[in-house]
Amino acid sequence: MPTKEEIFERIRGALVEALGVDEEEVTPEATLVGDLGAESIDFLDIVFRLEKVFNIKIPRGELFPEDVLTNSKYVADGRVTPEGLAELRKRMPFANLDEFAKNPVVQDFGNLLTVADMCRFIEGKVEVTG
Amino acid sequence: MAATRLEGKKALVTGGSRGIGRACVVQLASEGAQVVLVYQASRDPAEALVAELTAQGRLVRAVQADVCDAARAQQVVDEMVAREGRVDILVNSAGIVRDGLMGAMTYEQWREVIETNLCGTYNYCRAAAQQMLYQRGGSIVNLSSTAAEFASRGQVNYAASKGGIDGLTRAMAKEFAPRKVRVNAVAPGMIDTDMSKAVRGLVGDKIKEIIPMKRIGTPEEIARVVAFLASDDASYITGQVLRVDGGLSLGGY
Repeated sequence: MPTKEEIFERIRGALVEALGVDEEEVTPEATLVGDLGAESIDFLDIVFRLEKVFNIKIPRGELFPEDVLTNSKYVADGRVTPEGLAELRKRMPFANLDEFAKNPVVQDFGNLLTVADMCRFIEGKVEVTG
Repeated sequence: MAATRLEGKKALVTGGSRGIGRACVVQLASEGAQVVLVYQASRDPAEALVAELTAQGRLVRAVQADVCDAARAQQVVDEMVAREGRVDILVNSAGIVRDGLMGAMTYEQWREVIETNLCGTYNYCRAAAQQMLYQRGGSIVNLSSTAAEFASRGQVNYAASKGGIDGLTRAMAKEFAPRKVRVNAVAPGMIDTDMSKAVRGLVGDKIKEIIPMKRIGTPEEIARVVAFLASDDASYITGQVLRVDGGLSLGGY
């Protein structure tokens, strides 16, 4: 069972491989899209790598709920509706959506997820020691 | 043509025991690829093909699977990664016809063709793409048909399934292009296979008259194009549907 530090180390390794970034760039505060340059296709690759290094199954769309952001039920005029925000909070308990909720422009969503969010996401999936 | 163009490549071919899929297995193996072929019902032809190619020193094995089964597709790919180590090439050749005039077509005829041809292609594309993305490279070749674009009576199901494959090919190609995974399709015209024999039985040899080259194509003529698209010789080609039909689709008069 990994410690929190080990989880961060392994996530950093996966991000370095998937995104071709330097280890130093992968800080807890770094955003995946804005700082590390992840494109939507990278999320599929990142999730696959995380599955391998942690030996877990991650349902597609759990880390990055693209289906919510492209659903007309949850998006109006390029902004996530209150119902959509509620759905996102339910789906992404590991992420802090408070800042995004102030001005929920769909296009900005990708820039919200940080490495620390990803660590919390994994911590919720594996048993953490220490 | 370099006999070793595909040396070291690991290829997965669905519908690999008969027809065009079989020719693809032979072609890929003869160019040096290690091949896993998927068959559904044709165990004997599949095993005979494996024995034949093994005797020639090729590395080929056969697995039974129904391409409609998505979980099984993932399993086949996972097993291939465990045994062969990677998936460099995927050829989706499993396909069926259940022709019938639309007024007489049953929903079952429609569903069977869409599920095998289109959903089957999707299932293997999706399972293999993840691995190809991880490897940072791969080439997928889907078997379309000129029937996707050119109408034949009695084939609304088949035409829809092949048109769907064309759309899937282009959309998937765009998604995966940044990570060096190429996706293309080959659209054969009238080819000498068991599948087309049934159709030709109806139309007769007349069909040759409307093909500018005045002859039916061979599965090998399709397989060579599939091998080209699968190989690094096609490294800058993605999202294309290449017609291989002796000029059948040229139109005019």
